[in-house]
Amino acid sequence: MIPEIGHILLILTFVTSILQVLFWSFNIKKSDDVTINVLIKSTFINFVFILFSFGILVYSFIISDFSLVIVSDNSHTLKPLIYKISGTWGNHEGSLMLWILILSFFTFLVSRKKHQISYKLLSSIIGIQTIILCLFLSFILFTSNPFERLNVLPIDGNGLNPLLQDPGLALHPPLLYFGYVGLSVSFSFAVGALITGEINKEWARQMRPWITIAWSALTIGIALGSWWAYYELGWGGWWFWDPVENASFMPWLIATALLHSVRILEVRFILINWTILLSILGFSFSLLGTFIVRSGLLTSVHAFASDPSRGLFILIILAIATGGPLILYATKTSLFKENKTQFNIISKESALLINNLFLTTAAATVLIGTLYPLFLDAFNGNKISIGPAYYNATFAPIMAPVILLMAIAPFLSWGIKKPNKIAKKLIFLSVITLLGGLGLFMIDESSLFSIICGSLAIWLLTGVIVDLTFQIKATNLRLNSFKAIFLYFSKNNLGVHIAHMGVAVFLVGVTGEQFYKTEFNIKKNVGDIINIGNKSLIFDKVETLPGPNYKSETATFTLLKDKKIIDVLKPEKRFYPIEKSQTTEAAILSDFWGDTYLVLGDGNKETGWSIRVYFNPLISWIWGGAGFMALGGLVSILQSRKSRKKLKNAI
Amino acid sequence: MNPKYRRLIIIIFITLTLGLATKLILMALEENIIYFFTPNEIKVKYENKQDIEKKIRVGGLVLENSVIKKDGTTKFNITDRSHQIEVLFDGPLPDLFREGQGIVVEGMFRNNKLIASEVLAKHDENYMPPEVADALIKNGVWQGEKNDP
Repeated sequence: MIPEIGHILLILTFVTSILQVLFWSFNIKKSDDVTINVLIKSTFINFVFILFSFGILVYSFIISDFSLVIVSDNSHTLKPLIYKISGTWGNHEGSLMLWILILSFFTFLVSRKKHQISYKLLSSIIGIQTIILCLFLSFILFTSNPFERLNVLPIDGNGLNPLLQDPGLALHPPLLYFGYVGLSVSFSFAVGALITGEINKEWARQMRPWITIAWSALTIGIALGSWWAYYELGWGGWWFWDPVENASFMPWLIATALLHSVRILEVRFILINWTILLSILGFSFSLLGTFIVRSGLLTSVHAFASDPSRGLFILIILAIATGGPLILYATKTSLFKENKTQFNIISKESALLINNLFLTTAAATVLIGTLYPLFLDAFNGNKISIGPAYYNATFAPIMAPVILLMAIAPFLSWGIKKPNKIAKKLIFLSVITLLGGLGLFMIDESSLFSIICGSLAIWLLTGVIVDLTFQIKATNLRLNSFKAIFLYFSKNNLGVHIAHMGVAVFLVGVTGEQFYKTEFNIKKNVGDIINIGNKSLIFDKVETLPGPNYKSETATFTLLKDKKIIDVLKPEKRFYPIEKSQTTEAAILSDFWGDTYLVLGDGNKETGWSIRVYFNPLISWIWGGAGFMALGGLVSILQSRKSRKKLKNAI
Repeated sequence: MNPKYRRLIIIIFITLTLGLATKLILMALEENIIYFFTPNEIKVKYENKQDIEKKIRVGGLVLENSVIKKDGTTKFNITDRSHQIEVLFDGPLPDLFREGQGIVVEGMFRNNKLIASEVLAKHDENYMPPEVADALIKNGVWQGEKNDP
């Protein structure tokens, strides 16, 4: 009975949201209190209904209600509680439920900004958000009902793919969706501006935090996915340029560009059309990403819960959600009048604009690499695949100038009013980078790319530090208390600096992992010792251990450095009898300077086991960098005007 | 600066960037595309003729009772149920590698053998790479129900 309530709630939401869209389209020109309040209240109702419906689905997973198709297909009584819950979104229907839950949550949050956003714009934003909600609700109700019942009650469920039974992957989809769906808000802002014809600096100011929060969530979501692939798949790598990874990376690139262009719009009131276009594209790429992952159209080793027949439906949603606004865009953009002031070539806005250009071009190269195999197949039936080599040859060189400019842009000032005193900083920056590059050359002169990549990281890191220190020196402010320092920095793009530092830290990690890693395979038996440099691994034992819902073959290695015991590593092979599959659990010793990564292969007592050892220098910097980027995003939201005022009052 | 002049610079810059990007993409596509073959296609096109210069991918099923592991090297045959190709691989096999499983092998074709640099199997035990499914359908031996194209 309870699941039926969930289903009825979904149908009710579908009905109310259609009524809401109709109401909005009839009152599109009105902006009175009554209209806006009706829209705000119905948005709240939609959110509550979906929240309850989602809650019921989670509850069905927790109590293992196997009369539901998705529960019996994706869960099992023996599964730990956290994976019963995360199993809710570990499948097609449940992940769509999560999608609409987050969508209605965002709509609800925006609808509360009645006092900041003009009524006309706000009602359009709610209208557009609700249209998207309608599309996805019809998708769920007509093709992917999560509350479908089984006629015959099974004794137990089929279990969840063991690879998904992992804390990193329990959190990865919600964060990723938070990012994807968060981009719908800026999309609605843009379409709202096209409908109402209303655009100003305040529009950009209101929109920016939404992009930032979506961008931060997307950053963490992607990083979690990559981290999971690293420790769970046992391949030692962290990014494979797989279509599913690209699907999340393209919206990230567009969102990054948008984040910067909306800032230009906010300060200088130029690039209106470009910002609107990016807002539309950002969400389109999110939908495209969903389509790629859900349709199973592209060969990917990562795609879960895919179903080609439903892909068509998402393609239709994609066509409506992209096509409609783009037509509107083509007809309406000539209405917007930009600020006709001088545009200086050496200014912050031109640096950001150039970066925008490169970022979108980079997104285009990823798009081509992802979709080209599909087109070629449709065109002449040739089946091809495009691997990392393509991206190294296209994406990397396009991103290099972005990193170069990223360090310089914060030095520059907006517009042409102030003279730019950047020569001193630039000289300082170049000298440090040259010295760093020379250092890298001394370590390893054979690889030009490692020197370039490492130098870029040094360039950016130094750029951030130089900018901060010069700013401190330039002021007469005495920074003797923590509060004063914080206040000072929060006035000066602290968020930007943290995020940029994140990129630099990330690049350091990439350089270490890409160019200085070692890996090898070796066959060893219990009692053997593996020597690598000043470290050695002693193969102690292999034992069979029971787990909650698996059996494990666990090996024990003692890691010694300079004959002192550092740690004990326990790589495992797990066999999940319910799902009838096997997973490899790598043993990873992670520290600041790098990871020791151990994988247990096939083997037995007679022949010994095949063992893979990786040393991945600086690899945790990759995820640390992503963490800094997201943190920078959050800080810049906190730094927004309002909180700055509050801080001023606090003193 | 004169606005007209300025606009010209911007347009030239954008054209140059996009042109450069296009050039990079085309070059990279030409060099880095990996073609996919079925064992059947390889037999027809390349057997006893010449080695294929570029890396290729071959998809099919791991032939039953063909897997031999020795000194860290795995030897097995990959089949589309009409022809088969011998594969040599000395790296780590994916967890889902087993006889009868649909896989994709990437590597160089030398002396009628595929020297694999990578063996890919998906995380999902019911999964069949679409290329493999296509090949199996062509040969009329498709039995799966999931992932029907």
